[in-house]
Amino acid sequence: MLTEQSAYTNRWRRVSPLAKGLFSLCGMIAAFAAGSPRTALLIAFILGAAAVFGAGIPPLRYLRVAAPALFFLSASSLSLFISLDFGRSIVDISLHPALSEFPRIAQVCCRSLACLTSLLFLALTTPLSDIISLLRRCKVPDTLLDLMTLCYRTLFVLSEAVHETITAQSARLGYATITLSLRSLGGLVANLTVQVWQRSQALHLAALARNNDGALRFLENSYANASKNISIAATAGAVVIALAVMLP
Amino acid sequence: MNDAILKLEDVSYRYSDGTRALDNCSLTVRRGTRTAVLGVNGAGKTTMFLHLNGILRPTAGQVLCEGIPLDYSRSGMRTLRSRVGMVFQNPDSQLFSASVREDVSFGPMNLGLEEAVVRTRVEEALLAVGMTDSADKPVHNLSYGQKKRVCIAGVLAMQPEIVILDEPMAGLDVDMQEELTDILERLHAAGMTIVIATHDLDFAYGWADEVIVMQNGRLLAHGVPATILLQEDVQGNLGAAPLVAEITRLLSLIGIDLRDKGYLPRCKSELLNALNEHTREENRP
Repeated sequence: MLTEQSAYTNRWRRVSPLAKGLFSLCGMIAAFAAGSPRTALLIAFILGAAAVFGAGIPPLRYLRVAAPALFFLSASSLSLFISLDFGRSIVDISLHPALSEFPRIAQVCCRSLACLTSLLFLALTTPLSDIISLLRRCKVPDTLLDLMTLCYRTLFVLSEAVHETITAQSARLGYATITLSLRSLGGLVANLTVQVWQRSQALHLAALARNNDGALRFLENSYANASKNISIAATAGAVVIALAVMLP
Repeated sequence: MNDAILKLEDVSYRYSDGTRALDNCSLTVRRGTRTAVLGVNGAGKTTMFLHLNGILRPTAGQVLCEGIPLDYSRSGMRTLRSRVGMVFQNPDSQLFSASVREDVSFGPMNLGLEEAVVRTRVEEALLAVGMTDSADKPVHNLSYGQKKRVCIAGVLAMQPEIVILDEPMAGLDVDMQEELTDILERLHAAGMTIVIATHDLDFAYGWADEVIVMQNGRLLAHGVPATILLQEDVQGNLGAAPLVAEITRLLSLIGIDLRDKGYLPRCKSELLNALNEHTREENRP
């Protein structure tokens, strides 16, 4: 929900998604083009700064959104750095740091961090509905986009349903003991399964009633100064890529 | 002006689980009227609505639009659904996109209209329901009443001649109900035919030009509210009488016969006005 909140309230909400998407893409290209971990870190910093200082995302919120991904990145980096060595027998296991591989591991991790900040930049500045229409312009298959649209919408509907069901169950001591909790959880899953089916039927009827016969079609938002913003994003993106290529 | 725009002729419908939802049901919706459909839960109101929009096809009988049986082909349904808009009871079952403006554009985009036309229609529809300021908000951040308004805007953007609303007042607070009534009033003033399913007898008595009462998938009564909702069998079926009508009847028992004096109050304000007038006449020397 923090991502949602930022996407709808940031300073660059009304900037063309194409411009933001382009800058994010340039960031990813720069991440792969970065020749050293230091350069990749610089790219990550630039993209993070663009989100925090440019789009006005509060730094703490930025870190909270990034935290789960950073956790996975740290765990992956650690698993790359520490090697598992089987000695002469299966029980003779030892762990030791892969010091010789450190430069390559650092390169991979810093690149991943730069890619992460590129994606975070887009996710925190652009609502998913805008990203979907951007993907539609990029000719991504309709079926995939329809699924994204429905999943995104249904996510909120079902989270509300889950919350209501849990409240109703708790009100009747459904989670008072571990046994009751397991039982209630089972009931919740069963109830949600039926709800998902019923809601999909209802959405199908609603689509028919509004003359739908296939792909979900929506009007694309229009943005003031779109060409100017795209030019600025392209220039900024080119500078980021140039930095990545030129710096050692 | 009051010619039949939609008609059900001996329509029966049975769901796949065997439930008989409509049973030889015949009724008429007249052009330009405000029609309230009443009936207890399971009376067949929603099933009847789904027939009017061509979503369900009768297992017996036929549905007519302006005297012509519905054409269930793809093009026939396209024409019908651009003329008959339907607003479902639960807004969360009707809203597809997480963006208000996008969702309102869904219907007109399906009609294959040009982008500029869709854009104009969307803005007009949002204005009609007073949601222009919330057009860029995500749907999941709206209140229940606002979601209902977005649903109505989504149908209005298709510019239908008839709007069918399935229990639109359910779940709304008094202020929101009044706002919704104002929206419906404006649509009716603009020449739209409006059909509403409701359990609110007082609302139906005060708002509707005609009421349709359904019982067990059949038409029980059809006519003007002041006649139909005072019938004993109708009141017995619905379990109540309109409050204003009941008060008027009780007043007549104590010698204040407003009907005799030509008053026929349909809502609280009309009743109060009639009583004031009556008192003034009584006190006149």
